[in-house]
Order: sequence, then structure tokens, then C-alpha cells
Amino acid sequence: MNIIVCVKLAPDAKDIEVKVDGSISVEKAEWVISEYDLPAIEAAVRIAEATSGKVTAISAGPTSINNSKLKKDVLSRGPDELYLVVDDEMKVNDTHFTTRVLAGAIQKLGPIDLVLCGEGSSDLYFQQVGLQLGETLGLPVFNAVGKIDAGADRLVIERNLEDEVEILELPLPAVLAVTTDIHQARLPMMKDILKAGKKPVTEWKIADLGLNDLKAGVNVLSTTAPRHVERKKVIISGSADEAVQTLLGYLSKEGVL
Amino acid sequence: MASQPEIWAYSEKPILLGELLGGARVLAEKLSGRVIAVIVGPHTIAEDAIKMGAEKVYWLGDIETRLVEDYVPTLAELLKEYKPAILLIGNTKRGKAIAGRVAARLGASAMIDVKDFIPSASGVSTRHMIFGGGAVREEKPQTDTLIATVGLGNFENADTDANRSGEIIAVPFIKPEWKAKLLGRKEKKVTSVNLAAAKRVVCVGRGLSKQEDLVMINELAHLLEAEVGCTRPLAEGLDWLPRERYIGVSGAFIKPDLYLGIGVSGQVQHTVGITDSRVIVGINKDKDAAIFSQADYGIVGDLYAVVPALISALKARK
Repeated sequence: MNIIVCVKLAPDAKDIEVKVDGSISVEKAEWVISEYDLPAIEAAVRIAEATSGKVTAISAGPTSINNSKLKKDVLSRGPDELYLVVDDEMKVNDTHFTTRVLAGAIQKLGPIDLVLCGEGSSDLYFQQVGLQLGETLGLPVFNAVGKIDAGADRLVIERNLEDEVEILELPLPAVLAVTTDIHQARLPMMKDILKAGKKPVTEWKIADLGLNDLKAGVNVLSTTAPRHVERKKVIISGSADEAVQTLLGYLSKEGVL
Repeated sequence: MASQPEIWAYSEKPILLGELLGGARVLAEKLSGRVIAVIVGPHTIAEDAIKMGAEKVYWLGDIETRLVEDYVPTLAELLKEYKPAILLIGNTKRGKAIAGRVAARLGASAMIDVKDFIPSASGVSTRHMIFGGGAVREEKPQTDTLIATVGLGNFENADTDANRSGEIIAVPFIKPEWKAKLLGRKEKKVTSVNLAAAKRVVCVGRGLSKQEDLVMINELAHLLEAEVGCTRPLAEGLDWLPRERYIGVSGAFIKPDLYLGIGVSGQVQHTVGITDSRVIVGINKDKDAAIFSQADYGIVGDLYAVVPALISALKARK
């Protein structure tokens, strides 16, 4: 089976900085594989292993993703090759724009059997690209997929919804967004890391994809630190019994008991 | 766009319809617009939507053996024809699937788990948490219709008034290009809890050492007439509490009078969900825990000493 796994490379949330004006900067952040995509890579690799197939990883993003450590990190987790669409136009970070670019790259690659995506991205977490991608490619698409049984031309999947698990059969090719509990992602071993350095990486620009009428679906107005409410920050001391009595006194006064 | 902006509410689940129509009515008031519902399911639900304030209902018919997702082409064609200003959808997994697929058909981006709608002269922008709660992004769609999913608790339920009247228009089903076959369903045991509406919430974090100790937490919650909530690791990973009780960026956002965090460290992914609490109390044995800088009252101490003391003190007051 010829499988594509879409991987988002994004700034690490723990490195974001709040500037004095309350806006957010990711300039000093390290870029990492979006954590929700690790189980998707694992699922793709397992299906490929079971079907003597091949896994191609695709990522699209600004120049920051074109980093040898990141590329090696993706490939050390099992994909056979990597395609990167590196273009600073990707800075808009919009689900519609990303979808069009990924769809263009997938169409350029030729016939495929299955496309896997993670549940959402570690930065925006809109959980949309997999769904928009399936629809844009005109393929069967489902999200919240917690289990995949791959047959020759059909899939049986389990969809993990809020109040039920839905078991569905669908034709291939298809696009699936998988949940984080589909598989525990394996940790790359030294031999995987060494092998990753020898796997092929192809770089494209958006212009190489021949996309017409490509524009963002949104205009980002601001990215700021969350609203902060000043709190009283009263630390109550004393033994557990004393502290509890003091607390209840305060809470009575606040009228919340 | 229609001369008078239309706010549409589409619920893939009847239980969410009241809040979505409540939201649509709030937005319609701000934008001097009209409220319209799109219903898949029994005709009685379309009638309920009118009673809850929809001026018009596009009724897509009974679902029969179809999946809710099979209605994507029908919904997308309706949107292309009438170009409402806003389409509200429930923030469930199915709701997100429908939002994304419809958005792709319209060349749009869907806004997921919207926390605020900001109307302005040039249209409506939305706010959504990004970076696991570390930041808020405000963005404005560049397309005719703003497609947005909203979670439980963002809006009040629309009131029901049997005297309201409106038009119900039957819309023919458009056959989708492909079809998945439903092989079966497994029900999950779900506890219905609406943390967003709770007046008092006792929230437990990783400071709790074992699941059995929830007995003590439940006793405290009972004495305070509070709902029990938890941080993400307890609901996803440890599975000590159901997913519905998780408070934080991808879980519930709460606005109680009293929030009592027990063994909660206070990471941003959690605390973004409690910002609107009136009074925040933290109990944690680590004096440097982040919760204390975000609490009104803090007790630095072992929860296994403080919680039993609190239980005795509350019992003594009764």
C-alpha cells in the first residue's frame, strides 16, 4: 500500500514568548514535529509493514522547517522518504491554505492508496486539515479514527466519537485523521537515526505545485497572550485545621459557600 | 451576502440545538440579522427550532439509514445558494468533520472551538486558543460565510415559546459522491455533566496519588454541592475520570462562583479553562506551584491532610 502521512512541523509551544505589548513571538522557538502527528506516522508505518507498502511523509511550512535535524527526526520514525514544501507564504498558517498546498503536493506525487493525518496540530489545533484535504482531493474522509484494518481495496475503521464508537467500511483511496491513542509512537533507535540520514528528501516551493487561485481563507488580526485576571493571591498558613477554618472564613465573606 | 445577514445554526445532535440557537439569537441581535436553523432528523425537531426562535428552518429530512456526514453535499449547496453570514455547528467530532468538509467545498477555513465572536463594520472575527492555551488568535474569514464550531457552555440555551411561528422548508437530499458503510456502533458509557453551568467546581489534579482517593474528593464535592472536574492527565492517560470532566484548553471552560483546585499544578493548558471563575482556591504541597499565582486563596499543604480537615469543618458547619 502506498501511504502518505502529513506531518506538521511547528514551533514548540513551551518556547513562545509574550512581548510587552501582549503579543506572542515564536522567533526564538525550536521547531518540532507536531505531537499529534507522531501516532499518525506510527499508524502509517505499521500499515506499510503489514502490506509491504511504502510511506511517504509530506510537510509544508515556512523556511524554518527546512532544518536537517527536523528532517532526520521525521525520517527516523519510519517513513521511506520525505517531501517538503518550503515557502514563506506558509507563514499565514491557515487551514485552507495548508490544505490546498498539501493537496497539490499529493496530486503531484501520483496515485496513492491512503493519506493519514494527525488529529490536529500542536500550535493551532483546528483539527481541520485532514478533513479539508479529503474533501479537496474528492476522497472518502473521516476524523477521530482510533483503529484501521486495511484490506486490498477497502478499509474498516473505528471512529472514536464522544458517546459511541462507529465501525465503518470505506473504499480506498481515502484520507483519515487518527486519534492520539491509535498507537504509541515508537522511539527511534540509533540505527533508525543513522538510516534516516540516507533517505531521500525532496524540496519543493509552492510555485512547483501549479496551484491556481491559491489564497488564505482567513486574515489573522492578532496573536496575543490569553486574558489574565488579577487574583488576590492570599496564602493561608497554619496547621491544616487552622488553614481550613481561615479559608472557610474568606469563602463565607466572598459569598461562595 | 443576503441583505439582512443570516445566522444559521446546524446541529448534528439535537441536544446541542438549544445552545446553538441561543448563540445564533445573540449574534443576530448584534448584527441585526435573522436566525435560521438547518435540521437533519424528525420533523418535530424542525418544529422545536421554530419554538426556540428560528424564523425559518431548512429541513433536510429524516436521517433513515444515512450517516450525518452524508449530508455534507446538501449542506454545502445550501450555503452556496444563500450565503449566510455565519454558520454555527456543535463542537463535536462529527461537527468538526462536517465543518471542515463543508468549508473545503466553499474554499473556506472553518473556525473551530470559537470562544468569542467579534462583530465589526467589516464583518465578524473570531477568537480561538492556540499553542495549547498559551495564546489567543483573532482572525477574520475572507469568505462569504463564517463557519464556526462552538462548544457547550459558550452560549445560553434558547428559551422555548410555543407561540413562535416560522417557515419549514424541506430540502431535497443530494447524493454524496462516495459512501461509507456503517458496520456497527458500540455505545460508550458517558456521564452527562455540564461543568460549564456548575456554580461550584472541585477540580482534582495529578497531586492525587491513586484513583481510590477520589472517594474523598467526591465527599468534599458533595458537601460543597459542587461538580467534580479534573486536569487532562486524569481523564486522558490515567482514565480515572471521564473525558467530560476534563477542564482546559481542549476540554471544558468553566465559570463557577468557586473553583477549588486540589493537587492542581496550574499549567496554562488547564488554567485557561478557569479564568472566568469568580473565586479561585488552590491546595498544593509545592509552594512554587503555578496555581498559587493565579489563585485568590492558597493553602500550601498536603492535600491528604487539608482535604479531610476541610471535610470535617464543612460537616461541623451543617
